Amino acid sequence: MIDWTQHLVITPILLPLLVSAAMLMFDERRRALRRVFSLFTALALIANAIALIHLTGSKGGLALTYSAGNWPVPFGIVLAADRLTALLLLLTSILGFAALIYSVARWDKAGQRFHALFLLMLMGVNGAFLTGDLFNLFVFFEVMLAASYGLALHGAGRARTRAGLHYIAINVATSLLFLIGVSLLYGVTGTLNMADLAVRIPAVPASDIMLLKAGAALLGVAFLVKAGMWPLNFWLPATYAAAAPPVAAMFAILSKVGIYVVLRLSSLMFGDDSGRAGHFADDWLLIGGIATIIYGTLGVLSARRLAPFAGYYLIISSGTLLAAIGTANTAVLAGALFYLVSSTLAIAAFYLLVEPIERGHEEEDELVVEAVFEDELAEALDEEENEIGVVIPATIAILGGGFAFCALLLAGLPPLSGFIAKFSIIDGMLRGGQAILPMHWVYIAAIIVSGLGVLMAATRAGIELIWEPSDRAMPNLRVVEAAPIALLLAICLGLVIMAGPVMRFMEQSAAALEQRELYTRAVLHPSGGAGR
Amino acid sequence: MTDGTLLLIALLLPYMGSLAAAFLPSRSRTLAALLAGSQAMLGLAIVIWLYHGLPGGEVVRYQIEWLPSLGVNLTLRLDGLAWLFAVLVFGIGFLVVLYARYYMSPDDPVPRFFSFLQAFMGSMLGVVISGNLIQLAFFWELTSIFSFLLIGYWHHNQSARDGAQMALLATAAGGVCLLLGFLLIGRIAGSYDLDRVLASGELIQQSELYLPALILILIGAFTKSAQFPFHFWLPHAMAAPTPVSAYLHSATMVKAGVFVLIRLWPVMAGAEAWYFLVATTGLATLLLGAWSAIFQQDLKGLLAYSTISHLGLITLLLGLGSPLAAVAAIFHTVNHATFKASLFMAAGIIDHEAGTRDLRQLSGLYRYMPITATLAMVAAAAMAGVPLLNGFLSKEMFLAEALAAHSGTIIDQLLPVLATVASAFSVLYSLRFIHQTFFGPPPVNLPHQPAEAPPWMRRPIEVLVIACLVIGILPAITIGPFLATAVSSVLGDRTPHYSLALWHGFNAPLIMSVIALSAGVILYLLFRKPLNNARRSPVIGRLRARRAFDTILNAIFTGAQALENLLATRRLQVQLRLLIGIALIAGVLPFLQHGYRLGAVPVTLVDPIFGFIWLIGGVCAIGAAWQAKFHRLAALILLGGAGLATCISFIWLSAPDLGLTQLLVELVTTVLLLLSLRWLPQRLPDIWAGGRTPFIVRLRRGGDLAVALLAGAGMAAITYAVLTRPLPDSISRFFMENAYSGAGGTNVVNVLLVDFRGFDTFGEITVLSIVGITIFSLLRRFRPAPESIVMPEQQRVQNAYDERQEGRSLGDTLSDYLTIPRLAMIWLFPVIVVLALFLLLRGHDLPGGGFAGGIVMSIGVILQYMALGTRKTEARLVIVPFRWIGIGLLLAAGTGIGAWIFGYPFLTSYFQYGHVPVIGKFPIASALLFDIGVFAVVVGVTVLVLIALAHQSVRKPRTVAEEQD
Amino acid sequence: MEIVLALAIGTLVASGIWLLFRPRTFQVIIGLSLLSYAVNLFILATGRMKTDAPPIVPQGQAVNPALYANPLPQALVLTAIVISFATTALLLVVLLVSRGLTGTDHVDGEEDGDQSDNGKGGQ
Repeated sequence: MIDWTQHLVITPILLPLLVSAAMLMFDERRRALRRVFSLFTALALIANAIALIHLTGSKGGLALTYSAGNWPVPFGIVLAADRLTALLLLLTSILGFAALIYSVARWDKAGQRFHALFLLMLMGVNGAFLTGDLFNLFVFFEVMLAASYGLALHGAGRARTRAGLHYIAINVATSLLFLIGVSLLYGVTGTLNMADLAVRIPAVPASDIMLLKAGAALLGVAFLVKAGMWPLNFWLPATYAAAAPPVAAMFAILSKVGIYVVLRLSSLMFGDDSGRAGHFADDWLLIGGIATIIYGTLGVLSARRLAPFAGYYLIISSGTLLAAIGTANTAVLAGALFYLVSSTLAIAAFYLLVEPIERGHEEEDELVVEAVFEDELAEALDEEENEIGVVIPATIAILGGGFAFCALLLAGLPPLSGFIAKFSIIDGMLRGGQAILPMHWVYIAAIIVSGLGVLMAATRAGIELIWEPSDRAMPNLRVVEAAPIALLLAICLGLVIMAGPVMRFMEQSAAALEQRELYTRAVLHPSGGAGR
Repeated sequence: MTDGTLLLIALLLPYMGSLAAAFLPSRSRTLAALLAGSQAMLGLAIVIWLYHGLPGGEVVRYQIEWLPSLGVNLTLRLDGLAWLFAVLVFGIGFLVVLYARYYMSPDDPVPRFFSFLQAFMGSMLGVVISGNLIQLAFFWELTSIFSFLLIGYWHHNQSARDGAQMALLATAAGGVCLLLGFLLIGRIAGSYDLDRVLASGELIQQSELYLPALILILIGAFTKSAQFPFHFWLPHAMAAPTPVSAYLHSATMVKAGVFVLIRLWPVMAGAEAWYFLVATTGLATLLLGAWSAIFQQDLKGLLAYSTISHLGLITLLLGLGSPLAAVAAIFHTVNHATFKASLFMAAGIIDHEAGTRDLRQLSGLYRYMPITATLAMVAAAAMAGVPLLNGFLSKEMFLAEALAAHSGTIIDQLLPVLATVASAFSVLYSLRFIHQTFFGPPPVNLPHQPAEAPPWMRRPIEVLVIACLVIGILPAITIGPFLATAVSSVLGDRTPHYSLALWHGFNAPLIMSVIALSAGVILYLLFRKPLNNARRSPVIGRLRARRAFDTILNAIFTGAQALENLLATRRLQVQLRLLIGIALIAGVLPFLQHGYRLGAVPVTLVDPIFGFIWLIGGVCAIGAAWQAKFHRLAALILLGGAGLATCISFIWLSAPDLGLTQLLVELVTTVLLLLSLRWLPQRLPDIWAGGRTPFIVRLRRGGDLAVALLAGAGMAAITYAVLTRPLPDSISRFFMENAYSGAGGTNVVNVLLVDFRGFDTFGEITVLSIVGITIFSLLRRFRPAPESIVMPEQQRVQNAYDERQEGRSLGDTLSDYLTIPRLAMIWLFPVIVVLALFLLLRGHDLPGGGFAGGIVMSIGVILQYMALGTRKTEARLVIVPFRWIGIGLLLAAGTGIGAWIFGYPFLTSYFQYGHVPVIGKFPIASALLFDIGVFAVVVGVTVLVLIALAHQSVRKPRTVAEEQD
Repeated sequence: MEIVLALAIGTLVASGIWLLFRPRTFQVIIGLSLLSYAVNLFILATGRMKTDAPPIVPQGQAVNPALYANPLPQALVLTAIVISFATTALLLVVLLVSRGLTGTDHVDGEEDGDQSDNGKGGQ
């Protein structure tokens, strides 16, 4: 027998699936019911993640494992949740909750089965964070991507379809690379379990090393596409900008999934004690990350609308994180994790904020294509324009404030968490007596310059959109729109106030990545769990 | 309550006030002012109370753990210097609030103004009482941000927006440099704690990081304190409401840079680099500011430049590096704050009452506002350094230091002269300020009729001016002790002997200031008229800095745009090329690095049939690649050929399940593609200009071909390398050993799918469901291109024929078409269903399984479509796709969760063999339930997609409906 | 045998990638199908080749794995087949929708501006 708390490792995957499956059973028109269902699911996921953080913390950061099918590791598929995983699960569920609230304003009516797709994407993301099996990772990537295709196209329209086509085509091609990489690794090591791989890789004979590296490199390319590393990221700003705001906000986590996998695999499979193949990609990550930062900064500076602005910022953050992984320095990594949380929240808030701000300015790019068919299923398509929710007074002040906060977060200026995030990354590089490589100086410079670039662009945009007097009607902001933004920003403020404990948590997570036996031991020699 | 907590309260007060003010209704001007004023008063009281211990050299400290692991804590540290600045912050802050209450118009949202102002007050206080460098940088940036908001307060006018933006970019950028500098200091000193840093002077000066750190910190300080060449933002900041200029841009914020220089003076000063960088910058700023101030026509502009010049003076003093100079610097900081703030307020009153700040329009205001005029005159005299006023004292010290300068360079000789010149200039513009405004003939056509300002608006100025006088006449007993505390807190045991006295006898400095005074007066008398016609200051004008800033900004934006276009692409093809290209490199590099080696396993000899199959398969693949553009159907068939070859090789390589599934999937995919063909446009060969393909196109195709071939060769090589290696001890053997004993299945592959790796399948059916949902919602909105709505030609011919023959009704031909096969297909349906179920049930032991079964089932549905046509099939279709998907998912998940009841993890299977006639022995495993779930999902999804796609052809065109029917 | 399989995969990959680079949506989708064949074969190959030994184990008796084909890659391929089937179907529908909305079947949803631009001629 196993005690119920162990099931908490898999519920982040099962719960959204069950709820969305249930949603498929009843009619599309029962909208209120759906909303209640999905919002409660998101809340439950938040609770679940917090519980996981406590559980793993109580075990001193040892990964909690769960073997689906109760087959012995490494043969069965195993899920593993350590601090890092739990943290990311929490982040995901918070984003999901915020985005779902926001979607109630009107976006979940813009197309079919929004809530089901949304929950299924949460399932995919959670699965990708949790799984400890390389091929299972592929499966959950596909779940996540398939749902993201649906959500990216949610609401139809020219722009979305065009962007969606690119997004899908590129990701399908990428998935093929993923498969090649996985099977190559299997062909060389004979296993798919990540922990088992970590143990077996040092033993790979010199005659097979090139196959191993080739497989890992192909996998890496696949993940870097998801993570949005230059020059594999041109699809990103367009797709996210075209997507509906709550969807875009949720997409902020997708690139982080790519980052997470790079981080997890490189620490498990190519760490200090991985023999010949150890750290073979670090320099690539560092250089690529810096290039990505530079590209993202250029993009931010040249973006004329806010949605692409956010997309390019997302790219900057990916670059910053990838380069941080490339430094292979635990202190930097801890800062990077803090930065990951802070920047993701900021970007999500920003995406939610963009639409109300630009509502007046926006030239309607959705040229309505006249329907050529009688809509036989019109009843399910009712997009009633009466938008629910109380309208807030003094909207422009609130929007302005929100924008200012987001801008400060993104530019890494005080008082919000962006400042601490950047400071801790740089501090991590400068701390300690060890010499600083030229490349690290470049990285520091890139971080600083990107911050300034974001500041310039944000100032320009903010002044144009909020300060310049314009004759457009005052945008009306609804509570359901303001609340999630406020929530996200409040969390960022909380990160500053609680900086000490939060940073300690990040340091522990980073350290756990360093000493990988915490993970491998938990996975390969699970203490709990029931035998057959 | 300890002093520490009091200090914390003093820091929190302004922020609380700011927060409160933010929520006041936008009309409540007085209330907000009261709030801010009392808050500042209280803060001042606390700070003054905290003074008691400081003269004894003790320091008020308060520390809260914040980021201990990074050595950053909230450390408040109040020593003499901090105290002096804190008093300025709160004291002048209070006066400014009082002044602003009358200055701000009730039509503006004044509470917001006070909210920002107090927030700034708090941040400025934070800067001066920070006991930790990072914390200092934190508050430093905050001051930049709030100054931005305050300058842009009247954001409806352009100049305010520009000024705010310029100030923010300049100072925030500086702030980032400062932070970086502090990080370097922290690396050298091993701590960010101010005490630790101040204690490690030698360490810092000897480190090789000293110079970069110094430069970065100086950039920060100079941008904040508007030192040349970063001075340009300050004049533009004058677009702010005058209280802001009086507070931020004369008394406090611009002093932050100087403050940091003083703070770090003990550890940073003394080095060669320090002397040249700081002293020369200060000197340049001093002269340049003074020079430009002379030519200003705008009152606030004049004051702004004089502020720049005075800040330059302070910087210069600090640069000299002698303790006495440092004393003078601190002293002058205080004096400048007092007289400059009052001057700004006076300028504000003039603007307020006369409606203009243009020196050329103003004249003879004395007769309208004598009191203000008198106050302004005293303050201006202090600025000019006239005896009996505080400005005089610090200037004397400055001149003395200028004489005493000893760097052994040309500067030593130049300094006294330049110092005198600069003070002459300051006399000149002070004189001009006063004389132009208050004397001369009565003003003509002013916007308003000038009058004396309300008394409460004058009080702040009166207070400050009295301060100037008192300090100026009795320095030793007024400012003396406080200055001493501040100085000793900075210089410690290096505190020099100095005397604060009005009269030091006939010495060189006195003579120099006499020269300066007289020179200033004479110059004014000479150039008075021409000065009024000056458009801008000769040699160096504000416009240039402004234009430079704008051009740089635009250059950055446009440059970024250009580069971005250069580095990015929106085209799918290019992106895919990049993706594949990079993957190719990633795949090849390891082999270049370690060499390509084959394994030891002997190769089995080629079976000719297999070779032949792949000869055809390869030809099909290439043919598909070749035909896909102009002959889609042909390409489709060839694709099928390649697919078939794949199926066969699966079976050949002893993977019957794969063969089966691949074949079935093949069928469905082909049907889907066929259904889609109708909606694609007709494609005709391109006509190139000149009849031949352009070189660039051929080049690109050549490139693509090369990449394709390389990739193909690469994959082949890797495959071969893998195949010739022995399989390392793999986890696979476990599955074979336990398939039957552990999971009750003999078809290991199926057992893997539904049991060992059932979790994969679980995710896989989720993917299917998601895709089904997405496709359905996409096609519900489907809008084909107009030209493809037209009914296909064959159909039109048939209908035409039906109409011509009497006795035939529309669509008969269509229904006669392929009658026999249709009947066959209809009868086949039940058979197919049975087959599907059979495959499903036996899957556990023999090739088959839920997926195969599901696909077969949906193929049955496809046949129905072909036989009966869309409408009829949909009419009699028992399958409600969404239900089936939902049920399938729930069944699969439910089966898995069932294990929980028995205390096992998700998907733990249970099995038992059962016996059914006809079908025979089959396992009743929980895995079977799972497989049924899979079956349901697959059927649901495929049917859903088929309906959605096939349905399009029978939907009634809306626009072209009329002429079609 | 090995060489044949390797060449087969190589051919499929080459043709698939060539199509992947073409400007017409239909070409891309055919290309992706070819590539997925290649990848499926490759996955199977990483389990090494074995002919005439399907992974159907006898009931009850001890099993000598050496006699049977490696089942794991087969299971992976099955999953891969299903998923690529799903994504292909989705991509197909999306390209239909895009063709409907943009009026062209060019992957960028718009014909290239100048004649000489990316593979206007296609193959």
